[in-house]
Amino acid sequence: MDVQTLLNGLVLGGLYACIAVGFSLVWGVLNIINMLHGSFIILGAYLAFFAHAAFGAHPFLSLPFIAAALFGLGYVIQRGVINRVVSSPVLITLVLTFGLDMILYNAMVLGFSATPRRLALDMGRIDILGATLPLDRIAAMALAVALTAMLFQVLRGSRIGRAIVAVRMDRDAAALMGVRVPQIYAITFGIGACMAGAAGSLMSVVFPFSPAMTGLFLGKAFIVCVIGGLGSVPGALVGGLALGLIESMAGALIGPQEAVLAGFVVMLALLIFKPTGLLGKAGYE
Amino acid sequence: MQAVPIGLKRIAMSLGAALLAIGMGAESHAETVRIGAPLALSGALASSGTKQALAYEVWLEKVKAAGGIKVGDKMYDVELITYDYQTDGKKAAQLAEKLIVDDKVDFLTAPFGSGHTKITAGVAERYNVPIIAVASSEPVHDQGYTNLFGTLAPSGGLIDVMIAEFQKAIPGVKRVAVLGREDVFPNLMAKLMADKAPAAGLEVVYAGTYPIDAIDHSSSLAAIKAGAPDWIYVTGYSQDLILVRKQMADIGLEAPIVTMITGPVYREFIDALGPLAEGVTSATWWHWGTDYQSTDVFGSTKAFYDAIVAKTGGAEPDYVHASSAAALVALQMAIESAGSIDRDKVRAALRSMDAVTFYGPIKFRSDGMNSARAYPLIQIQGGAPVIVFPEAVKQADIKAFAGK
Repeated sequence: MDVQTLLNGLVLGGLYACIAVGFSLVWGVLNIINMLHGSFIILGAYLAFFAHAAFGAHPFLSLPFIAAALFGLGYVIQRGVINRVVSSPVLITLVLTFGLDMILYNAMVLGFSATPRRLALDMGRIDILGATLPLDRIAAMALAVALTAMLFQVLRGSRIGRAIVAVRMDRDAAALMGVRVPQIYAITFGIGACMAGAAGSLMSVVFPFSPAMTGLFLGKAFIVCVIGGLGSVPGALVGGLALGLIESMAGALIGPQEAVLAGFVVMLALLIFKPTGLLGKAGYE
Repeated sequence: MQAVPIGLKRIAMSLGAALLAIGMGAESHAETVRIGAPLALSGALASSGTKQALAYEVWLEKVKAAGGIKVGDKMYDVELITYDYQTDGKKAAQLAEKLIVDDKVDFLTAPFGSGHTKITAGVAERYNVPIIAVASSEPVHDQGYTNLFGTLAPSGGLIDVMIAEFQKAIPGVKRVAVLGREDVFPNLMAKLMADKAPAAGLEVVYAGTYPIDAIDHSSSLAAIKAGAPDWIYVTGYSQDLILVRKQMADIGLEAPIVTMITGPVYREFIDALGPLAEGVTSATWWHWGTDYQSTDVFGSTKAFYDAIVAKTGGAEPDYVHASSAAALVALQMAIESAGSIDRDKVRAALRSMDAVTFYGPIKFRSDGMNSARAYPLIQIQGGAPVIVFPEAVKQADIKAFAGK
C-alpha cells in the first residue's frame, strides 16, 4: 500500500466526515433520519457559489454566513413542521423529511437548474511524504475536525449542550427539569443544518455539484454514521475517515468499480457483528 | 313497463352522441400531428434534457410561424406533448406508453442518452410507433428495432478521427490511458478507444471504468499516473468529467493530450473548471461553426444558431440542441414527403430519407443510425471551444495539452 493511496483515503475520509457530522447529530440526538441533509449541503454549495459570483466572496469567508443562514432554515423547519410529529415513530419523521426534501430538491432544480456547477478556484496542492494532496480536501478535513471539536465542546460545556444531551437521554425528565424540549429540538436540527451548510460551502470548490447530488451525499452520510456509530460525537469523524480509507484501498487493490461496494460490505458486516458501529453507544443503534 | 323502452332510447341517444363525439374527435385529431416526448427535465440528465426541450420549443415556434406541417395539400397543426420523466428509466417507459395509449400521439421522440433511448424505443417497438432519438449510440441500434431512428452518427467514427488527427498533430504519442463511466454511451466510447488504439500503434497503459455515482477518482487517476501516458482519454457526463479534471490537477497528472468525451462541448464544463479546462480536447457530432444550407424550417446552420442564441439569451447551441431539433426536422420532412401521418408511410419515408438539413446530412442506415460523416474535433483554447478539425471549418491548430 503506497503513501499516496493512504493519504488519498484520509482526505477523502475528511470529506465524508464533513458531509456526515450534522446528519449524525440529528440522528443520534433527535432520532430523526434527516432526509433533507443532502439537500442542505447542496444548498450551502449554491449559496457559496452565488456569494462568490455576486460579491467575489471566497468560500472560507462566506462559510460562517452560510452556516448561520442554514441554522436559521433548519431551526424554522424543525420548529414549524417536524416538531409537530417528532414524538411519532421514526418512520413518520423519515417520511416527513423525505417530503420536505423533495420540495427543496425540486425548488433547487427550478431555481438553479440541474446544470453542474463548481466554484472554479484552485487552492493549490502540497507534497507530503512523496504524495501530492489538494489543499481544498485538506481544508475539508480540517473543517470536519473543527466541527466535531466544536460540537463536542458545545455538548459538554454549554447549557444548551447539556440540555440537548438531557433531552436525548430522557425527554420527559428533561421537560420536568424545565428544559424547553421543542426549543432544544429546533436548536439541534438547526445545528445539523448549519454543519451541512458549512460542509456545502467547502464542497462548492471540491466537487462539481447539482441538485442531483443530494441523494449521493445523503447516502454517504448514512454509511458513515452506521460505520462510525451513533450517539458518539467523534463517530462521524472516525466513520468518515474509515470509509475514505476503505474506499481508497479497495479502489487501489481491486479497482474503483468495487470500491463503493467495499464500503457497503463493511457497513453490512458492522450491522451484523457490531451494530453500535466503531464508536457508537448501545441504545443508539 | 314503459320505463324500459325510454331507458333504451336514452341509451341509444347517448351512444349516438358518444359515437358522434368520437367521430368529431377523430376528425379534429386528423388535422393535427401529435408528437410525444418524455424529457429529462429534472434529475441527473436534466442539463441535457432541458436543452432538448428548448430545441423542441424553437422548432415548434418555427413550424407554427410557417403555418404548420404540410401533409399532402393541407397544413396540419402540430401538438407536442411532453412529460418530465425525472431521469428515471422506469418512468420513461411508463410515460412513453401513456403518450401512445392515453395521449394517442402519432410519433415519439426518445429522451437524451442511450440508456433511456433503449427503454423508450422498446415501448415504441411494441406499439409499432416510429421514434426518433436525439442521442443514441450503437448498443441501442443493434437491438433490431424497426421503428427507431437516431440523428447521431456512429460513435466509432469519432474515435478514428481522434486517433488519426491527434497522432498527426502531436508526434510521439505512444501510450494511452482510458477511463470510462460504467454507463451505456460512455462505456462504449471507452471500450472503442481501448479496442481501436493498438491497431494505430498505441499502447493502452490503463483501461478502467468507474461506477455511475462515483464522487472520487483518486485511485483510478493514481493508477493512470503510474502508467505515464501521452494521452489521457476519459468518457462520462459533465459532472464526472469536471471532477476527473479537477482531481487530475489535484495530483498533478498531465499528458500531451487530454481528451474528454464529451465535456468540452458543454459551456458548464468550461465555467466549472476555469483555467483547468484549457487544452482539453473532444470530438463531437456537431458544431455551430459548420455551415449547411437547407430547405428545412431553419434554412441554415447559421439561422439555427441565431434562433437558439435568441431563445437562450446568449448561450450558444451545442450538439444536444442541434441533434434534438434535427430529430423533429427529420420527422417533419418524412411526414411532408409521405404526404400523410400514417405511421407506416412515415416510417418508410424516414427509411429512404437522404436530406441535407441545418444540422448536416441525414440518411438513416438500416439500423436507424444516421450515416457517418466528418466529425468536428474541438479543443478548449483561450477559454472557449475552437474547432481544430476538419480543415474546412478549422479555427485553430491542435496544441499540446502539456509538454512532457
